[in-house]
Amino acid sequence: MSQFLKAIGLFAAAFVSSVAVLSLAAISDPLPPDTTYRPLPTRPFSAVKADDEAQKQQVMQRQASLLNRRYDMSDRPIAGVMMSGGRKAVPGGVRVKLQSGTTWENLAEMSPDEIRQRSLLPEGFLPLPHVKQATGGQVIPDRQIDDIRRQEARDLRRFDVNFDLPDHLTPEFPPPIFLTTQPHLGDVSRGQLLTIKNFYEVMNGIITPVQMEGLRLLLTPFPQEEFNQTEDRKVAEQSTGITCLDCHANFHTNAAFHLTPDVRPQAARFRLDSTSLRGVFNQQIHGSKRSLRSIEDFTEFEQRTAYFNGDHVSATRKGVHLPDRTNQVAMMAQMQNIIDFPPAPKLDAFGRLDRARATEQELAGEQVFFGKGRCNECHVAQTSFMDNNMHDLKLERFYQVGHTFNDFVTLPDGPIKTFTLRGIKDSPPYLHDGRLMTLADTVEFFNLVLGLRLTQPEKEALVAYMLAL
Amino acid sequence: MRSLAQGLAVATLFASPAFAQIGNPAGTEPDTRQSAPGIPAPHQTNAQDQLFAQQAVIGGMAEVALGKLADRKAHNRAVAEFAGVMIQDHGKANEKLASLAGSARIPLPNEPDAEHKAVHARLERLSGAQFDVAYLEAQVQDHQKTAQLLQWEINSGQDAQLQRFASETLPIVLRHLRMAQDLASQIAGQTPRELAPATTGMGHQDQPRRTR
Repeated sequence: MSQFLKAIGLFAAAFVSSVAVLSLAAISDPLPPDTTYRPLPTRPFSAVKADDEAQKQQVMQRQASLLNRRYDMSDRPIAGVMMSGGRKAVPGGVRVKLQSGTTWENLAEMSPDEIRQRSLLPEGFLPLPHVKQATGGQVIPDRQIDDIRRQEARDLRRFDVNFDLPDHLTPEFPPPIFLTTQPHLGDVSRGQLLTIKNFYEVMNGIITPVQMEGLRLLLTPFPQEEFNQTEDRKVAEQSTGITCLDCHANFHTNAAFHLTPDVRPQAARFRLDSTSLRGVFNQQIHGSKRSLRSIEDFTEFEQRTAYFNGDHVSATRKGVHLPDRTNQVAMMAQMQNIIDFPPAPKLDAFGRLDRARATEQELAGEQVFFGKGRCNECHVAQTSFMDNNMHDLKLERFYQVGHTFNDFVTLPDGPIKTFTLRGIKDSPPYLHDGRLMTLADTVEFFNLVLGLRLTQPEKEALVAYMLAL
Repeated sequence: MRSLAQGLAVATLFASPAFAQIGNPAGTEPDTRQSAPGIPAPHQTNAQDQLFAQQAVIGGMAEVALGKLADRKAHNRAVAEFAGVMIQDHGKANEKLASLAGSARIPLPNEPDAEHKAVHARLERLSGAQFDVAYLEAQVQDHQKTAQLLQWEINSGQDAQLQRFASETLPIVLRHLRMAQDLASQIAGQTPRELAPATTGMGHQDQPRRTR
């Protein structure tokens, strides 16, 4: 230690004697290159794979421990409420666990400062870590992996991690598909997962040639950061890659997740829960953070972002697919633009409840939504329950920033896009990172964050209302 | 002002360290000895750990040296108090880091880099309110860079103790950053830019020093 103190002394002396006149900019070193860029692997594939496999059990245990500390993960559906395809019950109840000594009511009475100072924010309200933050990348749920293996003999199973949420807290699989161009047909999926092997048979006669070509491209595997042919992959065999609909299953979502491409360093990249593409025709901004202004931009740029984490340098090495903007991108966009929301028979043309069809509780919930709850100020009913804007909820008022959970650094979210609430019962988990497991959780979250002080009947009415959207 | 050690205890409680860091084996050095399959033995470092320790020590030493300069030259009393916090917190962090680096046999620099020499020289020439503004500006910049550097180590390093040090230090560095930003705003006559100013954060550890 004395050597170290001597070093400080030398250091200070050097300061005093320094007569540097150069401008700071000219001599300031940048941070290390891999704070921004993806580093190349340091060892052979087989050595990395062996270590990854050895770590896997510990990785999954650590994540399960975090999830069980934060949430009640049990299988408790809402009685009699199914998702739109009728194949899965909607999970119910508040799942976020309170810190000991608090109730939702007394928490709502406290100021953000008090909650932060006493560390009383329920941990489940914090950003949710990726199952293996240091590696990150796309993680696909088992049902999708199994169906793709069966239909295409393509392997989506990672050797380093598994999907971390139980099946009952994810969307129904495969999700139904509703088309704006064929509303009279209802679900056109035939209960199948659309793949490169079956799409033509399922969709011929229903969509146009241009849409068909767009669909083919959306179902074609292309190299991706974890699924590719190089030693820098997380799947056992050299892989032909990933398709757009491997995550956006049947143009909805299967709750596959990855890390935001928009933030560095790696430890700060927050988790992203795959968003549904239903109703994307009415959406003016795309991506939680990027606010891309068209579905064409989104489709084109996802090859840089969802596929390669916003690192075009790594993409170039692994074989990036850059779809032709005026031809392929346009067709992919046209296919996505006919994907409709699921039917909501209780809503009128303005997105308001039909009084003849809605229950008393749903109507009460609508009143809260447009009144005390202030939900409608961003989730505007007339524009498919979104406002095509990004908003910053400033959750960091309630917690001390910079703490690390499972190698993920908890930092302010900043502005995030308003997501639609149409068909919302079909897409647990909730928020951009999937940190909330049920709609009841979202009500408690916004009750606290917006300082709404809703009563228990008001909270329950809001959930009932959202189930009708 | 709570000591750094106490601050670290709070951080550790909050982060529930039941499980160690788990890195990406793709970034492990080929000569790494393992204590279990996939788990680097203690003090087994990769290039990122080594560079992190060296960069963090340069930054930490500069914080102390600049803090001493500011303690002597600050015009505004609050700036001098902030400098006192920097001397205390970074002094302790430097000792811990030096000890961890020693255990891992990472050679540490014993003289400043050109960047910090230049900052020090520039600040030496300033006085009064001009000094305060320039000192805080340099502090904001340095803490911004340090925050990113710590995050980098948390995911890219392989020495669990150095990674834990980075995890435990990051909230403190972010708090310093906010303190510097709030002070700079205060001196410029602006309202703090955030809803949750650092000075009303987690108990005493957020409070600036009251005495000079």
